[in-house]
Amino acid sequence: MTRKIVVLLSALLVSIVLLAGCSGGNERNAGNVGNAAKKEAADQAKVLVYATAKDINDMNPHLYPGSLPAQGMVYESLVENTEDGIKPLLAESWNVSDDGKVYTFHLRKDVKFHDGEPFNADAVKKNIEAVQSNASKHAWIKLSTKIVSVSVLDEYTFEMVLSEPYYPALLELSMTRPYVFISPKDFVNGETKDGVSGHNGTGPYKLTEHKTDQYAAFKANDSYWGGAPKVKSITAKVLPAGETTFLALKKGEVNFIFTDDRGSDSIDVDAMNQLMDSGDFQLVRSKAMNTKMIVANSSKADNPALETAVREAIWYSIDRETISKQIFSGTETAAHTLFSANVNYANVELKQRGFDLDKAKQLLEKAGWMQENGSEIRMKDGKPLAMKLYYDVSSSSQKTEAEFIQNTVKKIGVQLELIGEESSSIASRRATGDYDLLFNQTWGLAYDPQSTISAFTSESAYYHTTSGITQADELYKKIDEVMVTQDEEKRKSLYADILTIVHDEAVFIPITNGSVTIVAPKDLQGISFKQTQFELPFEQMHFE
Amino acid sequence: MVSYIIKRSLLSIPLLVIISFLTFGLNNLSPLDPAEVILHAQGVPAITDELIAETKAALGMDRPFLIRYLSWFVSCLQLDFGNSYVTGKTVWSLLAPAFLNTLKLTLVSAAAIIALSIGLGVISALREGKMTDKSIRGVSFFLTSMPPYWLAALMVWYFSVQLDLLPTSGMDSYESYILPVLVITISYTGIYFRIVRSSMLSNMNEDYVLYGRASGLPEKKITMHILRNSLQVAVSVFCMAIPIILGSTVVVENIFAWPGLGTLSVKAILSRDFPIIQAYVLVLAMAFVLFNTVSDIMNAAMNPKLRKGH
Repeated sequence: MTRKIVVLLSALLVSIVLLAGCSGGNERNAGNVGNAAKKEAADQAKVLVYATAKDINDMNPHLYPGSLPAQGMVYESLVENTEDGIKPLLAESWNVSDDGKVYTFHLRKDVKFHDGEPFNADAVKKNIEAVQSNASKHAWIKLSTKIVSVSVLDEYTFEMVLSEPYYPALLELSMTRPYVFISPKDFVNGETKDGVSGHNGTGPYKLTEHKTDQYAAFKANDSYWGGAPKVKSITAKVLPAGETTFLALKKGEVNFIFTDDRGSDSIDVDAMNQLMDSGDFQLVRSKAMNTKMIVANSSKADNPALETAVREAIWYSIDRETISKQIFSGTETAAHTLFSANVNYANVELKQRGFDLDKAKQLLEKAGWMQENGSEIRMKDGKPLAMKLYYDVSSSSQKTEAEFIQNTVKKIGVQLELIGEESSSIASRRATGDYDLLFNQTWGLAYDPQSTISAFTSESAYYHTTSGITQADELYKKIDEVMVTQDEEKRKSLYADILTIVHDEAVFIPITNGSVTIVAPKDLQGISFKQTQFELPFEQMHFE
Repeated sequence: MVSYIIKRSLLSIPLLVIISFLTFGLNNLSPLDPAEVILHAQGVPAITDELIAETKAALGMDRPFLIRYLSWFVSCLQLDFGNSYVTGKTVWSLLAPAFLNTLKLTLVSAAAIIALSIGLGVISALREGKMTDKSIRGVSFFLTSMPPYWLAALMVWYFSVQLDLLPTSGMDSYESYILPVLVITISYTGIYFRIVRSSMLSNMNEDYVLYGRASGLPEKKITMHILRNSLQVAVSVFCMAIPIILGSTVVVENIFAWPGLGTLSVKAILSRDFPIIQAYVLVLAMAFVLFNTVSDIMNAAMNPKLRKGH
């Protein structure tokens, strides 16, 4: 008996002593660490540590789970999409045959992969073939369905043959993935679809260390063909909670954050303002990158949204200015068209539909939706004007927007039921057509207009949104045509027609234009943006 | 005693089989097509019917439910929980380090909780109704009622940002243990010390205490008897504390960016990475069953009466 008590008590004692020792030691160490950390911070003042909510994940550039900003630092494409159009990157120049089917690229000769392997036509061929051998995963990128053959002409000349002319070919080659290049030495069994054995790209930064769910370290590639980047070290630190990110920024453990791939900022506007007030940070915002919108199903029976008048009425009853000011504190601007004017081919004259509840009511009445005295909802043929609006539960802003819109459309006699779901289940509703209205966003500058527009015809994307409109056949014909035409003027006019049709039919109801936000150290210069919301040109940044 | 341990351990096997079946079944009840979920989880931008069929065939999802369950169960017995939908890595290679990280946090916290609860519980019971008792109970009530995320944010703000003593997050050094352990300890000590206290108090009113006093036993010896008997109740409670903490570190791990089970499971749930969710539920259930068994065995070891029925 007594022995057991002794055992129990001594166990207790040992744990107390351990604990006391632990905390005592820690306090001492903590002091040292505080000083050491300060010294370290001073030594490494010229590094960037950015917070990311998710791990960088699998960095295989030919698959999709990896972090886009991280892949953008390590891998490069043949050409680059800039504000002034397509520019050379790993390809110095290129020719397109008269029939638009044969692309010949002349590659840079001074490029090496991070593991020292030469970057040449052979490496390009192997990479493109590796992408093509997993074709079904890349169905979204139309180029993958059009490449017939790839061949090496000489060490630095490479040829790609398409089945038909496809004007966005260069645009799609410029994207962060999948047509980027990894050292063929990292291939597994001559392929990349089942994984890669290393992550050696040609980009300005090398991935040097990766601790899953903790951090990933990137070091400057000093033999980068474009000149060694000035910021020598970049670390992506995984911080899932916004509160911790804010405190880590205040303490200096993290000094850089930017909008994540869902277009949401990891810390809120108040927190950003507090950081600005501290004087250690600057805030930089890109121009409009995408359009956040409500997508209406034009082809579902028993759904009032299949009437153009109902869609237009909803359009008129959204107070975008207030959403921009109140919900986004001015960080997103009101959008009135599917694409902002800075998107290629999207500077088209379209009918303006401002916030106008009277106009909305008139439209509904004209379409036969009547409001009986005393009833809150309009009726037509005994059916109420009620719809379901699906939003992404993990987006903080969509729910608020949905509630705000629900409240305003109530004033015109429309009832909206709000349903929050996971983004994957919203995507599956969009694909099966099982929705009335749902939140979505355009792909973004680098991909638009061609990616969003080709998604109009795709079953897995916006087919159910567009297939119910009267001019659907004409719309699809024009979309097919615009992708293959070689004539710039014709392309412009086709895009104008396409945008006019969907605008007049009001199937994509724009709300705001989103942009990329960066919070960076005050002395960091050279901050700029790419044509995509998913990557940043880190190699151009430097400390003053 | 040995036969008791064997019997008690064997009893937990059918329980684990039932749990594994429920886990697998529940995940399969999801209205979404698993192949579609995988493709979404992998970030594939456009999902075609062809791709879905291909994925299903590749993962053997076109087989009947029971066959899929059996093959999953058999591979689980060999610690092969399949591959993550998102990364394609084996679940084991993701789960094992996360489990270890959470276990480290849990064990240090559990040691602190047990030590503090017993200490405070005994003091509180011996001083029942006096100032010491009242203040211990008051403070613990106050601390326990604070939501852990708020407590955590407050501590990071004070100790890391204001005083610059500790890191805000991560698990790079021993210092990074202090704040998460403190938060967990504060959240649980208030609950567990009360169990020790009330068990001490009820023992104090037992006949054997009266008898001991009447026979002139020294007060110290009586207190030791009371403590020993009270701890019998506490042992099973403390044993269960370990799996409970193991399964409830989500908030703390998320705030302190601790790469453990909580972080892993939340990520898996959000991206519907079913193989990880299944393995996580199974591992936690095993922890509960295991510690429950251990607590029964320990109780039986301390109190031979409990063994008699077996």
